[in-house]
Amino acid sequence: MNRLVSMTINGEVRELAVTPNLTLLDALRSEGGLTGTKKGCDVGDCGACTIVMDGKPVNACLVLGIEAEGANIETIEGLQLAYDRPHPLQQKFMEFGGSQCDFCTPGIIMMSKALLDENPDPSEEEIRFALAGNICRCTGYTKIIDAVRATAEELRKAKTL
Amino acid sequence: MNTHERIDADFGDRDFTVVGKSVKRSDTLEKVTGTAKYAGDIALPGMLHAKMKRSNIAHARIKSIDTSKALALKGVKAVLTHQNVPRILHSGSPHPRSASVTKDQYILDDRVRYWGEGVAAVAATSEEIAERAIALIEIEYEPLPGVFTLEDALKPGAPSIHDNGLDQNNVLPPVLVMRGDVDKGFAEADLILEREYDLGRPTPAYMEPNVCVSLWDGNGKLTMWTSTQSAFMVRGTLAEVLGVPLNKVRVVVDHMGGGFGAKQDLFQHEFLCALLARQTGRPVKMEFSRKETFLGGRSRHPGKIWLKQGFTKGGRITAREARVTFNSGAYGSHGPGVTNVGTAALTSLYRCENVRLEGRCIYTNSPIAGAFRGYGVVQTYYALDLMMDEAAEKLGFDPAEFKLMNAVRDGDIAPSGHPIVGHGLEDCIRRAMEETDWHETRKGDKPEGIKRRGIGIGCEMHGSSAYPGIKEQGNAIVKMNEDGTVTLITGTAGLGTGAHTALSQIVAEELGVPFETVSVVQGDTDIVPWDIGAFASHTTYLGGRAAQLAAADVRRQILEHTAPMLEARAEELTIREGLVVSTGGSNRSIGLAEAVGPQRGMPAVQLVGVGTYMPTKSYSFAAHFAEVEVDTETGEVAVLQVVPVHEIGKVIHPIAAAGQIEGGIQQGIGHTLSEDYVIDLTNGRSLNPSFVDYKMPLSMDMPPIRTIILETAPDPGGPYGAKGVGEDPIIAIGPAIANAIYDAIGVRFRHYPITPENVLNALRAKNSETRQ
Repeated sequence: MNRLVSMTINGEVRELAVTPNLTLLDALRSEGGLTGTKKGCDVGDCGACTIVMDGKPVNACLVLGIEAEGANIETIEGLQLAYDRPHPLQQKFMEFGGSQCDFCTPGIIMMSKALLDENPDPSEEEIRFALAGNICRCTGYTKIIDAVRATAEELRKAKTL
Repeated sequence: MNTHERIDADFGDRDFTVVGKSVKRSDTLEKVTGTAKYAGDIALPGMLHAKMKRSNIAHARIKSIDTSKALALKGVKAVLTHQNVPRILHSGSPHPRSASVTKDQYILDDRVRYWGEGVAAVAATSEEIAERAIALIEIEYEPLPGVFTLEDALKPGAPSIHDNGLDQNNVLPPVLVMRGDVDKGFAEADLILEREYDLGRPTPAYMEPNVCVSLWDGNGKLTMWTSTQSAFMVRGTLAEVLGVPLNKVRVVVDHMGGGFGAKQDLFQHEFLCALLARQTGRPVKMEFSRKETFLGGRSRHPGKIWLKQGFTKGGRITAREARVTFNSGAYGSHGPGVTNVGTAALTSLYRCENVRLEGRCIYTNSPIAGAFRGYGVVQTYYALDLMMDEAAEKLGFDPAEFKLMNAVRDGDIAPSGHPIVGHGLEDCIRRAMEETDWHETRKGDKPEGIKRRGIGIGCEMHGSSAYPGIKEQGNAIVKMNEDGTVTLITGTAGLGTGAHTALSQIVAEELGVPFETVSVVQGDTDIVPWDIGAFASHTTYLGGRAAQLAAADVRRQILEHTAPMLEARAEELTIREGLVVSTGGSNRSIGLAEAVGPQRGMPAVQLVGVGTYMPTKSYSFAAHFAEVEVDTETGEVAVLQVVPVHEIGKVIHPIAAAGQIEGGIQQGIGHTLSEDYVIDLTNGRSLNPSFVDYKMPLSMDMPPIRTIILETAPDPGGPYGAKGVGEDPIIAIGPAIANAIYDAIGVRFRHYPITPENVLNALRAKNSETRQ
C-alpha cells in the first residue's frame, strides 16, 4: 500500500509515494528522480548513499521512506548553487582529482559537507575519521582528503573576508 | 601535495601547451554534481525488474526446475531457465582475434559449477515481486563431487568440471616459455633458492554493482545500457548469442562506477536481461546486489608459484625456473590470458638469460577468476621480488642495490619479445633510494619494542596493451566545427580514470587549440568507432594515439584549406592557440572559426579526421618504497608511508596519473594485508560476500603517499611518448610491503594476504625456535 510522505528535499517541499518497506534511498532515486545518490551495497556498509537528513549525515539505505515524514533532506543535487556554480566542495573535488569513477563521490561530498558544517577546521585525522564509513575504491583517499582540506580553507577565508 | 612539481620532464624539445597539465577533467562537473548517468540510473516507462536465482550448491546437475509457482505470482511476466534460453557455447572474455579465449559457458546450463551460479531469472513489475518469484522456483539438484583446491582438481581421476578434452581440469594446455640453458645456469650458481608462494583471492570490489537495462524497439533492435569496460565486446557477443546482426544491437555506457578489469567479461545477467526484455516486449532492468557482485563477479586468480633461481656470489642471476599454477574457478574467463601474461612476465624484470617457465590454469568449483588489474603479474612478480630480497640478504647485498644491479635495461628482450626502451626500472629504483635516503634509513635504530618498524622496496614493469596475446585496435574521429570548436568521437571507454580528458588534451595539443574547445562523444556503439575496450593499461597509449592521429589528419586538412587565404604553402603554416599562423615570414594569421566557417554565403568546409592505431607494446616501470609498523602483540601491520616512483614515458594529466597510482596502491595494500574472498573448502560456499567481511583498506588505513612520476623512457609507440600506468601500482606495492615486514620482524612470508593471525603465528614459531 502506497503512502504519501511529505519532506523538504533540497529546499523544496515534495510528496513521495512510498510503500512502507521502501528505503529512503529507493524513494529518492525512483520516486524522487534523484539518481545522484548511489546504491553501492544497500545494507549500510559502503556510504555511497550518504545524504544529510535534518543536518546529520545518514545512509539513505538504512532509513525508510516513511521515516522521512517532515524531514529536511539534502542530496548531492541540491549542493550546486546554480547550474554553472558548483559548491566549493564540488569545485575542489574537480580541481584536486578527488573523483575518479565517481560512484562514491556524491556520498563522500555529502559526508564532507556535514563534517565542515560542524567543524570548519578539521585536521587530516578528523577528515579521515569522518570518511571512515565511505568506501572509495579508486583514489587511495589522498586526493579526497586534499580536496576537503582545501575546501575548509577556502570556506574559512570566505568567512573572515 | 602538488603533483605538478614532481614531474621530471625529460622528453622532447617541444613546448607543450595542454599535455602535461592538470586541466580540469571534462567529465567531472556532471560527476560531482550527481547528474552523471550510470546504467542503474536509467528508468524507462513500463520497465520491469529482473532477478536471478543462484545455485546453493557448487557442483551439480539440475534434475528438474519447477517454475509454475513463480509464474503464477501476480506481477511476474517471464521466467527463464536452461530449458528456454538459447544454448550457445560462448566465452566469458570475448576478445576477437585472440587465441586465448575459452568457449566454455552457456547463458544457463543444466549443470552448475560454482556456488552462486545463475540457474534461472525472473522479470516482474517490481524488484520485490521478482525476488519473491525467485524464492518460489523449485530446483532439484543431483550433486556431483566438488573440487575446490588446485591439489584436488589436479589429482589423476579428479572429477572433470568441463568436457573440453583436456586432462586434470586444465583450462588450456600448459604455457611453456624457455630461453637459454637453465641446467647450465644452475650448474654455474653459487646459491640456489627454491620456494613456493601461495596467493589468495582478492576481488576488484568496484563500487557500482553490475547492472544493465535492455530495451527492444519496434524494429527488433536492442539497446542495452550496461556497466562494462568493453561495449563492443558486449555488442558482438550479444549479437552472436541472440542471433541478430551487429547493427541491431546498441550498447550504451555513459559512465561506469569502476571495473578494474573484471567488467571486461560478459556476465549472465546481460544475456538474461536482453532475453527477458525481448520475451516480455518491455524494458527490463537487472541489477546485482552487493552480495551477487561478489558471488557472480570475477576475482584475481588465486594460485601457487614454485620458483627456483640460481645466483653467483657476485650477484648475477644464472637461471630461473618456475611453475605457475592458477585457480580459474568454474569457468575459463581470462584464465588463458592471465596465465600467458603472468608466466611470461617471469622472463623479465630482473635479468636472466636462462629461463624455463611453465604456467597452468585449472578449473575448480570456485568463484570465477577473471581479469583484475595486474593480470597475473601481481602474482608472479610478488614471488620474484620477494625471492630477490631474500637472495640479496643471503649474498650480502643491500636489497635495493641488488635489484638495481639486476634490473632490466635498454635493449633487453621484454616478455612480449620486444626490446625494452630506455632504463626506466633503474631510474625508478635510483630515485626511490634517493627520495627516501634509503641507505641512511636502513641504518637507523630499530627499537625492539612492541611495535616494530621496517622498510622495503618492491619493483615491477607492465606492458601497455595486450599485445602479443591480442592484436589491438583503437579508433577516433575528430570533427572540426564551423565555429572553431572540435568534437572528438572516440571508441575508448571511460572507467573513471579521466581517459577522455587525456584524449581531449592530446587532440587540443595536436591541433593547437585551447583544451576547452574540445568536447568528447563516447560510450555509444551506434555512434563511436569500434574499440577493443578499456583494459591492459592501454587507454592513453592506444586510444590516445588514435585520437592524436585523427587530430593530425584534421590539422593537415585545415592547413591545406587555409593556405590560399594566407597566400602561403600549407607547410609554412601552423596552428597556435586557435589561430592559423604563417611561419613563412609574413606573420599573417587567421582565426580558426574564420578559416573553417561559412564564407560569403557558402556553407562551412567539412573537415573530419580519422585515426586508427594498432600498437605493439611498451613497458612502464615502477619501484615502490614502503614503511610498515608491525604490532607484535596484535599482529597488525600498518603501512606508514609509501613512496611510489613510476616511469611512464610522458604524463598527459599529472593529477589523473597520480590518482591511478594512489588508487592502485590502495588495492595493493588490500590484497597484501587483508583482502581475501574466501570459500568453504568443504562445499564451495562463499564465506565473506559483503563489504563488512571482505576487508578493504579505507580512509583510516591509508597512509600518506608521495607520488613521483618520471618521464625518462618515453616510448615511440605512445602519444608524445606516453605509456600506461593503470596496472603498474598494484604490482609493486605488495612486495614492498612484504619486504618491509621482513625488515621489521625478521619473518619472510611467502603468501598474501599477510593477516594479523599469520603474523602472530609466525612470531610465536620464531620465538619458540630461538628458545630451543
